[in-house]
Amino acid sequence: MKRRMVRLLTDALTLALGFVVVFPILYGLMGAFKSPAEFAAQPPTVLPRSFSYTDNFAFVLRTVPLLRYFFNSLTVAVLISTVRLLAALLAAYAFVYFEFPGRGLLFMLVLATMMLPGDTMTVTNYQTVSRLGLLNTYLGMSITSFVGASQMFMLRQNFKTMPTAIREAAILDGCGDLRYLFFILTPLSRPVLVTLFVQSFIGAWNTYLWPLMVTSHDEMRTVQVGITMLTSVEGTNYETVLAGVMLSLIPALFVFLFLRRGISKAMTAGSLVG
Amino acid sequence: MKKTMAQRLKPYLFLMPMLVFAAGFVYYPFFKTFLYSFSRVNARGDILGFVGLQNFTYLFSRREFSAALGNTLRLAVINVPVTVALTMFLALLCTRKRGISAAAETMFALPMAIAMSAVALIFKVLLNPTVGYVNHLFGLTVGWYRDKNTALSGIILLTVWMGIGFNFLLFLSAFRGVPDQLIESARLDGAGGAAVFFFIRFPLITPTLLYVVCTNMVQALMTSGPVMILTQGGPSRSTTTLIYMMYTSGYGSSNYSLAACVVLVTFALTLVCTLLAFAAERKKVHYQ
Repeated sequence: MKRRMVRLLTDALTLALGFVVVFPILYGLMGAFKSPAEFAAQPPTVLPRSFSYTDNFAFVLRTVPLLRYFFNSLTVAVLISTVRLLAALLAAYAFVYFEFPGRGLLFMLVLATMMLPGDTMTVTNYQTVSRLGLLNTYLGMSITSFVGASQMFMLRQNFKTMPTAIREAAILDGCGDLRYLFFILTPLSRPVLVTLFVQSFIGAWNTYLWPLMVTSHDEMRTVQVGITMLTSVEGTNYETVLAGVMLSLIPALFVFLFLRRGISKAMTAGSLVG
Repeated sequence: MKKTMAQRLKPYLFLMPMLVFAAGFVYYPFFKTFLYSFSRVNARGDILGFVGLQNFTYLFSRREFSAALGNTLRLAVINVPVTVALTMFLALLCTRKRGISAAAETMFALPMAIAMSAVALIFKVLLNPTVGYVNHLFGLTVGWYRDKNTALSGIILLTVWMGIGFNFLLFLSAFRGVPDQLIESARLDGAGGAAVFFFIRFPLITPTLLYVVCTNMVQALMTSGPVMILTQGGPSRSTTTLIYMMYTSGYGSSNYSLAACVVLVTFALTLVCTLLAFAAERKKVHYQ
């Protein structure tokens, strides 16, 4: 009996804390349905009077090219994740299956890139990208994120678990290295690749500093940068900003709620290896 | 067997893309930053001459730098223990699988799905002194992002919230990885909840703990986004961080040598944490 009470109380506490954690998002969602008068009213409330007031969303969609922002974010995130994984696949393959002078040194050189946090390089990388004429381009927004040392490391660990006999047999049958990598090894490594892709994608989708620095044209902004621009648009106020924020969250929340288990696993699995 | 030229070149061709990206966007900027910090650099980024430690002495004499360093360290030193204690507690609450597990885990992991800029804008409204809900709910009259005494606390509140999702999941999977038999046998020997935690669960998850501490420390030392969106370093420099200073002095004012010095200081601070995180990860891999 006492044990049951304790369990019930723990459950109640857990759910209450869960509500506290989620509260900012709910608050934002509710606020997006308020009229300006309602928002300014004292004392402040959480719930709007009704959910039929949708002018805020309409205003955002009218003043900001939100769909274009989504498209930009999507393009950059796909580009980063794809190129990063391709480069990591090739490098991991070389480190596992080839013997060559300088292998250990090059391996260390690639791994050591993880010790230099990306944000500290942004000012100098900006100069490089600007000199290459890549400002306001998708390539410029992605190119600095193509190095994927941790992805390379994960793939290397994965390749090492594959029996070498398969490769020897395939090579004897006249299969080239590239064909072996992309038609045999890649399908065999699918779970790891999916994990790494999801992880890279989320990271790229959420980036703020770099896309802010290299884009000055409004139509090249990503979602994360674009919504912060809402605060400086004429005629916006708190409720319209919240409406913009809520609209910007739809894809991420959708993916999160439906694929949560997979993503949770992907995120935590990736972090196990640097 | 003698290798042909093509065979000898092949490994390097495979490595080429990775090495080119690493050289161009990690090593080249790093060495350039290093050079800049000891040189006089014009606004176009050309090096005009070697000046020794002059840039550093100039940096250390600036009020903005001591503010940025102080704020960054304060942020990291508060953020990390709070995040760790909070997410570890939440993970403990959720460890036992039961009816509410799916709902609770979704709620605690949710912050992971929210981009920083969205969080910043929501907190801007939530912590607004007049129309925001937090002041009303707790009967406060705090100025939050508009008051130099509370602005940094507001930023820390936000960064802690952002870190909940991911760290919660890491601790949850660590706690669930502790073998049940160990806990059962301890219980049979008469160990209570506290004893089970301190003598069995906690020691077994220390690699995860070390990893979480180090990665969060690096992240906290890199804080700049919320500052850019919410306070622009103010009021009266109370929220200026190192990376924010790098951004304003390098990208904003084209003072590249100053920005380079800030980067090197930040880098030195993170290096220790990164190396420790590496060590923690190695250990974690062995545990599995």
